[in-house]
Amino acid sequence: MKKAEKIKNAKRLMSVLSLALLAALAAIGSTPLGLKDGQVAPPYSKPHWLDSKVASTIELRVSSSDGDSAALSWVYSPPLRVWLTGTLGAGSAVRWDTPSGDFTLTREPGEIDLDFRDIPFKRALGISPFHDMAHALFPSRGEYALSLAGSGDAVMRIEGGRWGLLGTDHRGRDVAALFVMGLRVSLIVGIAATLIATLLGLSLGLLSGYAGGLTDALIMRAVDVLLSIPTLPILMVIAGIWGKDLWSLVVILSIFSWMGTARTVRAMTLSLRDSSWVEGLRAIGAPRGYILFRHLVPETLPLLLANVALGVPGSILAEAGLSFLGLSDPRLPSWGRMLHDAHMFGAFTSGAWWSILPAGIGISFICLIFMDIGHKLEEMADPRLAALTKRKTIEETS
Amino acid sequence: MSNQNDAGKITIERLSVTYCSGGRTTRAVRGCSFGIPKGGIVGLVGESGSGKTSALMAIPGLLPTGTLVTGRVSCDGTNLAELKEEELAAWRWRRIALVPQGAMNSFTPHLTIGRHITEVLSHHLKMPIKAGRERAAELLETSGLDGFLQARYPHELSGGQKQRAALALALACEPDFLLADEPTTALDVITQKEVLDTIVKIVRGRGMGLLLVTHDLPLAAGICDELIVMKDGEIAESGPARQVSGNPQQPYTKLLIDAIREMDVAR
Amino acid sequence: MTAALKRAGASAAVLAAVLALNFFLFRIMPGDPITGIVDPRFSPEAKAQLAAQWGLDRPMSEQFAVYVKEMLSFRFGLSMMTGAPVWDELKRRVPNTVALLLPALALSSALGIWLGVKAALNRGSALESAVLLSGAVSFSFPSFFVQLLLLMCFAYYWRLFPLSGTTSIPPPPGGMAILDYLWHLALPLFSLVVMGFGGFALYIRNMMVKALGEEYVLMARARGLPFRRVVWNHAFRSMLPPVLTILLLSLPGVVSGAVITETVFSMNGVGRFLLEATNSHDYPSAGAAFFLLALLTVGCNLLADVAYVLVDPRARRTGARD
Repeated sequence: MKKAEKIKNAKRLMSVLSLALLAALAAIGSTPLGLKDGQVAPPYSKPHWLDSKVASTIELRVSSSDGDSAALSWVYSPPLRVWLTGTLGAGSAVRWDTPSGDFTLTREPGEIDLDFRDIPFKRALGISPFHDMAHALFPSRGEYALSLAGSGDAVMRIEGGRWGLLGTDHRGRDVAALFVMGLRVSLIVGIAATLIATLLGLSLGLLSGYAGGLTDALIMRAVDVLLSIPTLPILMVIAGIWGKDLWSLVVILSIFSWMGTARTVRAMTLSLRDSSWVEGLRAIGAPRGYILFRHLVPETLPLLLANVALGVPGSILAEAGLSFLGLSDPRLPSWGRMLHDAHMFGAFTSGAWWSILPAGIGISFICLIFMDIGHKLEEMADPRLAALTKRKTIEETS
Repeated sequence: MSNQNDAGKITIERLSVTYCSGGRTTRAVRGCSFGIPKGGIVGLVGESGSGKTSALMAIPGLLPTGTLVTGRVSCDGTNLAELKEEELAAWRWRRIALVPQGAMNSFTPHLTIGRHITEVLSHHLKMPIKAGRERAAELLETSGLDGFLQARYPHELSGGQKQRAALALALACEPDFLLADEPTTALDVITQKEVLDTIVKIVRGRGMGLLLVTHDLPLAAGICDELIVMKDGEIAESGPARQVSGNPQQPYTKLLIDAIREMDVAR
Repeated sequence: MTAALKRAGASAAVLAAVLALNFFLFRIMPGDPITGIVDPRFSPEAKAQLAAQWGLDRPMSEQFAVYVKEMLSFRFGLSMMTGAPVWDELKRRVPNTVALLLPALALSSALGIWLGVKAALNRGSALESAVLLSGAVSFSFPSFFVQLLLLMCFAYYWRLFPLSGTTSIPPPPGGMAILDYLWHLALPLFSLVVMGFGGFALYIRNMMVKALGEEYVLMARARGLPFRRVVWNHAFRSMLPPVLTILLLSLPGVVSGAVITETVFSMNGVGRFLLEATNSHDYPSAGAAFFLLALLTVGCNLLADVAYVLVDPRARRTGARD
């Protein structure tokens, strides 16, 4: 069954590649990709590829230096909002040419800041205050042009309800930018918390296994107790009291996830401590520290690596859970926070599934990847397990 | 070859067992024919991997799924090799019972010894639990155990006790045939002898047929009426026990006898 | 007997740890509790009076003793959110949480066991792949994401279930109230079962595959026992002890899941009460809710332990758990 083996390897390769890709994405961050944070478009704008009837957010710029007109071919339904900003020299005018008629938008000199919903503005153009400006200014499909006669510069911002790769959230922020930033948070928290927890578990497990006696009993009872308390409520309370910044979250998460590692390391240490070669080392007078760090630690290392990879999903899920409950820094966009916002601010009563799916799929996908890599590392670390699978593949191949 | 000869006898004709796992096929038994008469003791001897256990397990159809079995295993005019699992259930234990290889793990850990016996009795013979318990005590006593041991769990018995309990369990429905797969291998020499003697005494006393699978040719020769020597899935030599062990025709048979003798000398 | 005592001792230790954790968490918080609680414009005398009223002027050890006594008699003090006794607030919410968690646990373990056994009996089938997949999903998909999706599909787009709440407001009269309650419970319960059964099924399948390869299962077949009896009374029954251990280990996670589920579906339970209390810095309520959730876990733990001893003859006779 070479084919099954090939598929398995391809899957593994995919996991590693995807992880590398995501890590690279997190490292680059959103800015070099041209993604802006902060408000960029109307709330719950659709993704760009979703609805071609709706316009993207477009900015038309005219200034006296680069010619005097900006053309736009319009094939969409009328926009949601239109703004005109800029400065105008004396005796200049901004004009808007539509297929069914031309408007002179303004000829007031000085700063321009016009919202097309303003009633005085509507009046000035001779449109009823109850009439929708968007329909008046964008009557049909066709060629439009914004032009500037005279000096100054002006920007016309047309918000259509479509933005970017993944649309926007309830505050009009780019979901794609948030996704990349959330990825960074998830990776940092997941890996950092698991690394700290593993170090904690390693030292306590070594201590417990090597020292034995009362120390061992105390540590193991602590493990039992911590394993039978629901952790999320504690994490909530601590996060509520201690503050919600990223690094306290990392510390809190690691305090409550070292138990499994400690158990594994203790078991390994116990079996190694009584093995003949460690006894031999002791017999020739090797100091305890030397035996621990030159022999026992390296022996447990491969399994620890697998433990790290298998522990990351737990930390990522815990972080996401806390953020989802609103117990994270509100200024720090994370995947859990995105889902929290979507839940709190009615993403689905607005039908904005694009603000739910990316974060959720992101969390699930990254957890699956780490699980897959973890299982592979575990197989590599545990020769018994590896031999078992190897034998299986031999049976399958021959 | 004809059905009349089947009466009171398990006849195995051109039996082949092929294991198929993961695309690899292993032919464990290659066209063996032999018979187990009721009231007779047949020894199936060979080294490990010679296919003797496969041949034994093929009789009640207990080989793993996906295993290819060809040939006939007939008893009273029925070809057992053709039967489905549900149809075989009526044959198993009522007609053909098994004493497993080293009965260490052959008991379900959470059931008492007595429960194992009463379960079989109530399922096959519709015997009520209370009567079943009395019968279980009797059976344990026939196999050389105390009746009260039926309240014990398997992990509370020693190896020899478990083997005797397995024998008691096998006798529960008074089967016509007993298939014993290395019934004493896991035991120490003295217990081995005792358990084997008990089996032989019971089988002879009740006129049952016994197929004894073992690697110990001299031991088998002392018990069996007939000996079959297997090598690489084929029958190397067969005949009356005295003839096979006393005057082996095949070099392989000689090898088997010598190997055991040398071990005895070493002991 | 000694085994039972040992397990009871372990449960007591967990409870003691929870109490100590609870006590110190709320007292090591930054700043003087009084400043966090009362209006800073209060006069020093009023503050001192309040401190005396809450017993905050007495030594720590005495405070702890009083605290433990109060906790164990369910006198949790007054809620800072509502001013009502915390226990009165909690009393209304505990049944809702239990009505969500116990059926969820029962249904997901039953479904997990059934599918896991089926998968182990049909190796290489589509069912087995589905079980393996659902296991991976339940370990890596965040429950609230799945719940949001369910909410979006079933409550928003298809309008089969309510978007939030434990009952309609106002609740319908008479027998309809029960139906209304169940209608609100259905989606959260379904989501917990969907997220919960996969892990169970995966474990059960793995253990069952091992159990079916055991010699005693082959021997049970050799005894001509019916297939179902072999599978359930011999193979499955013999692995009940590890199944119970898994169940036991999953309990804290299940309780944690209640907090999230109640939040997503805006249910009136202990978990959401804990969240609200935490968010509004209502420490007596938060502490009490946490204590109750821990108590629920410890209680289930104890039940599972009793079941373990009943199920495993080895544990019963020798008091050892492997």
